[in-house]
Amino acid sequence: MAERQLAMVMDLNKCIGCQTCTIACKQLWTRDEGMEYMWWNSVNTQPGRGTPKDWEKMGGGFPNKKPDPGRIPTRAEFGDAWEYNHKEVFYGGKGDKTHLQIQGQKPDWGPNWDEDQGAGEYPNSYYFYLPRICNHCTHPACLEACPRNAIEKNAENGIVTVNEDSCRGYRFCMAACPYKKIYFNQVAKVAQKCIFCFPRIEKGVANACARQCPGRVRFVGYRDDQNAPIYKLVDKWKVAIPLHPEYGTEPNVFYVPPLGPARFDEAGDLDESTPRIPTEYLESLFGPAVHDSLAILKAEMEKAREGGKSELMDLLIAYKWKDMFGGFDRDPASIEWVKAESTEG
Amino acid sequence: MRVQYDPKADSASLLDPGSKIWNGRKREVLELMGAPAGLQPSGAIRAAYADQKIGAVTSVSVSALHDGEVIAFRLEWQDPSDDASIGDNDSFPDAAALAFPVHEQAPMILMGAPGMPVNAWYWRADDGEKGRHVTAEGLGTSRLLDESLVKVRGQWKAGRRALVISRSMQVGDVPGAAQFAPGEPSRFGVAIWEGSHGERAGIKAFSGNWKDLTIDALPEKGGN
Ligand code: SF4
Ligand code: SF4
Repeated sequence: MAERQLAMVMDLNKCIGCQTCTIACKQLWTRDEGMEYMWWNSVNTQPGRGTPKDWEKMGGGFPNKKPDPGRIPTRAEFGDAWEYNHKEVFYGGKGDKTHLQIQGQKPDWGPNWDEDQGAGEYPNSYYFYLPRICNHCTHPACLEACPRNAIEKNAENGIVTVNEDSCRGYRFCMAACPYKKIYFNQVAKVAQKCIFCFPRIEKGVANACARQCPGRVRFVGYRDDQNAPIYKLVDKWKVAIPLHPEYGTEPNVFYVPPLGPARFDEAGDLDESTPRIPTEYLESLFGPAVHDSLAILKAEMEKAREGGKSELMDLLIAYKWKDMFGGFDRDPASIEWVKAESTEG
Repeated sequence: MRVQYDPKADSASLLDPGSKIWNGRKREVLELMGAPAGLQPSGAIRAAYADQKIGAVTSVSVSALHDGEVIAFRLEWQDPSDDASIGDNDSFPDAAALAFPVHEQAPMILMGAPGMPVNAWYWRADDGEKGRHVTAEGLGTSRLLDESLVKVRGQWKAGRRALVISRSMQVGDVPGAAQFAPGEPSRFGVAIWEGSHGERAGIKAFSGNWKDLTIDALPEKGGN
């Protein structure tokens, strides 16, 4: 176990599914050859089938405390990268005759498209967004599955990374990660994954997905920093809880579950007695801790509505943007970044 | 197994599995066994293969030649599918390796042990003709020595793969590398990974305990 652990909290009540986080990550980290299909950050609509498609049925992790081998998601299941005729349309002088078309074989599943699926019946239909990154688990199934010890958990901050010099592309990690957050680079022939923006973190800058988020959804910081929001949301107020705790990897990304809007009854009046997002569904994602979390959120919200002071609501509203980053609030524009030799783009 | 001396062999024909230099050479058929699931280095791999067969290739025929400088092994086995590239995340290339104990007591089944290295000459189909010269001190510890000393050439035809893996008998002072000399006995082993069965890393077929290798001595220089 690492001495300290960096963590993230994502407030699902505030996520608007804009994918700014996804693009921030893509621009920064996954533009090299072989990374085209990778989305180290993804945002899915729930209760859709997710990315990769049906990832929750692919196994891995430590259900019942024992390793489950799991299976490797295919590129098509991730929603492969496909090409458009950009050149022709934008630069080929044919803009008035042709339109953007997918080149080659048409994909039949893609993120932020086919998975964008809610549930329920009008007028009580519902959906919410679920952003996901690697959970930088305390008990990382990826690391433990690798026969070459090529996956490392940083002793000082708990960030889990692939050592690409040791990796031989065996992909046991991809099968073992129950969150399906490891990708295989066919060009470099190694596994690649979210690095929790460690080169930024080392310089006091919060992760790109967190800083760029217009919804103020993401808190960043050390788990044990008692003065910072992560500790308060996870340990003090116990409203931020991990996704699929039953996978047994002890994630360090935590979610504030969505309360969702109230239901309409048959007369068309608001019915606050049953939630629109079925609690059983939320329990299937976040485990039984979701009940207490929702109850605390409701009570504190009520308190604030009645004019009371709620530390929890103040935290979640995130009045001061920089306070969300547990001290990692340095402006990246104030740093002169040096490009690493081994990467391009 | 005997490594025959052929003074007429040049390195190009030695390396070519289709060259007539290999015609009519004695082939030794080695039975292969699956690497035991219980010895795999991670819990996830042990769990994945607890009830799954390891070792799709069950035998390989081997012949070996040397020209005084270079030692070459020609492997041939039944390989119904030519898995030469990584098509998708869940597909794996065919691979093969020769292994030699560098330490007297190095266990073949574990690819060596700490302080007891094994030297492997490794080929993977997606690397084309690039051989990897590797040393290991236990499963999962293999370390690349270089990508130039081991030469490989293969061909796949109608469900059979023939592959020559060769190297100079002596490679100077490379820690972790096996050295050979005409007339000196040695030992070796073979491992084969069947890509279409997802075999990679310790999931492989191998030839069991070390096999003896007799390397022909150079003929006595005549009195001419
Ligand atoms: S989420 Fe997956 S890839 Fe990330 S640390 Fe956990 S097991 Fe490893
Ligand atoms: S940037 Fe923020 S609001 Fe937008 S999808 Fe990502 S987490 Fe949600």
